[in-house]
Amino acid sequence: MIFEYLIHILILVGIYTILALSLNLALGYSGLLNLAHVSLFGIGAYTSVLLNMQGFPFVLSIIASGIVSALFGFILVFSTKKLKGDYYALASLGFAFVVYSLLLNLISITRGPLGISGIPRPSIFSFVINDNFTYLIFVLLFLLITLILFSKVVRSPFGKLLEAMRDDELSLRILGKNTYRLKYKSMSISAFFAGLAGSLFAHYIGYIDPNMFYINEIILIISIVIVGGVASLRGSVVATVIIIFLSELLRFIHLPSSIVGPGRQIIYSIILLLILMKKPRGLFGRIDLE
Amino acid sequence: MSSLLLQLTLNGLVAGSIYSLVASGFSLIYSTNRFMHFAHGVIVILAGYILFSFYSLIGFSFYYSVLSTLIYSSFIGFLINKTIYSPLQKKKTSSVILLIASISLLILFQNLIQLFFGAGVKDIDYIDIQKGLEFYEATITQLQIITIIISSILCVGLFIFMKKTSLGKEMRAVSNNKELADIVGINSSKVKDLSFFIGSFLAGLAGILISLEQNVSPSMGTNLIIKGFTGAVIGGISSVPASIFGSYIIGLVENLGIAFLPSGFKEAISFFLLFIFLLFRPEGLASLRRRVK
Repeated sequence: MIFEYLIHILILVGIYTILALSLNLALGYSGLLNLAHVSLFGIGAYTSVLLNMQGFPFVLSIIASGIVSALFGFILVFSTKKLKGDYYALASLGFAFVVYSLLLNLISITRGPLGISGIPRPSIFSFVINDNFTYLIFVLLFLLITLILFSKVVRSPFGKLLEAMRDDELSLRILGKNTYRLKYKSMSISAFFAGLAGSLFAHYIGYIDPNMFYINEIILIISIVIVGGVASLRGSVVATVIIIFLSELLRFIHLPSSIVGPGRQIIYSIILLLILMKKPRGLFGRIDLE
Repeated sequence: MSSLLLQLTLNGLVAGSIYSLVASGFSLIYSTNRFMHFAHGVIVILAGYILFSFYSLIGFSFYYSVLSTLIYSSFIGFLINKTIYSPLQKKKTSSVILLIASISLLILFQNLIQLFFGAGVKDIDYIDIQKGLEFYEATITQLQIITIIISSILCVGLFIFMKKTSLGKEMRAVSNNKELADIVGINSSKVKDLSFFIGSFLAGLAGILISLEQNVSPSMGTNLIIKGFTGAVIGGISSVPASIFGSYIIGLVENLGIAFLPSGFKEAISFFLLFIFLLFRPEGLASLRRRVK
């Protein structure tokens, strides 16, 4: 029983770590506070589920979920490339609301507020991942790939350019670098992995509805990134473990679900407020957010 | 068709009045503090719940409940500034961090309300359901007329306060140039406190009117601050009169919009407007006039 439960938590930790890493690429390394990150996660989830339930193989669906999310990430940053700081954050919030109301109102495609249930588990070339242990290994495989790729990206010249853009966009432009193109690339990569995480999440939980990808949920993922420290991949991994375990403890002490739901959000927001006030660089952060 | 349009226009005016109360407080706080106080929306809803507790649960008289709701909500806004925002601002925190803090406050209060009162809607049975007044071929209830009147009086009052009184002038001075205001001896931290106090008072009033007109639920705060914020952005976020103007535009556009679009898209219209304005005219319509000058 405990073992089963531990596997469940570890799967969630794996998925949220991918999500947190991808947000950290946008927020920590590129300086884009993307409040629509959960929407990109949701777009990935919906794309993968809708394709898979139309009969497309899982492998194609999950790749498509990354590509469609990356496309939306690109659209977001393409249209907002001139905005900075809190104006960018608010435009991305507006984007998140547009996505939410589309998910809610395009009932013929998304089934609206009812959500989609009975999502099948992934099957890869006739091998169906049914038990949670195999799913955990599957998720960890993805996580490993993400981690290796991201640590390569942030150490590459491209990653250094992103950090330079975050610190001083104008100087970088004077040096002749096209900062818009840097933003497109970093947001597309970030959105691609958010989409993959969304697909992994949807096929694991088995049910999605628009409220799972709304403003309430962004607080969790931002808490993780800021508690871990912006521009620190190691921080995001550690913080995901801490925060997911902490919030799952609530379920463990057998509180009714009407308390667990708000209780979690209260924990996330208090953690976030405390860290902003007491230790704004988080656990492993190297820089202050401008 | 014309009676439908008239009805939708009236609904738009009522919605616009409520949004303008939210937006004027929000933009008053923004203009003196230079950051987005998103938790403003949850103060509105909190006021509805305070009124519900005092009037429907405890059973105080209506006017006493309204008065204490206004006092409590003003003080809650004031205390949020004192405990969270001013320590952060003293450390020269960037406006992005303050935005994150205000969003987490929004989520915090929303979930606290949900924890204490449940996720369902609460109804304050002060006004009996009554047949609305006929106005040509459209109907409008007494409360809706009162809402429009109160909101217009307050907006005019706020305008006069900002233009004529010395406190209002100090506020505008801080909003125009904080350093200069400090040099000439204006106590800018007092002005900031005051803007939170007045802004939250307006939010409390909006909360009371909403809870009487419809009912309240914990998640309404997010929606309302988006409407108020959209109104403020469309008008011009750092100018109170401009954001009131923008709020009426939002109220009218989203209500007239459902004459042409399915009603499910009512919310989407204003979100879409918000996105468009942030992209193409983040400084709002108010800047049009300035550009002509």
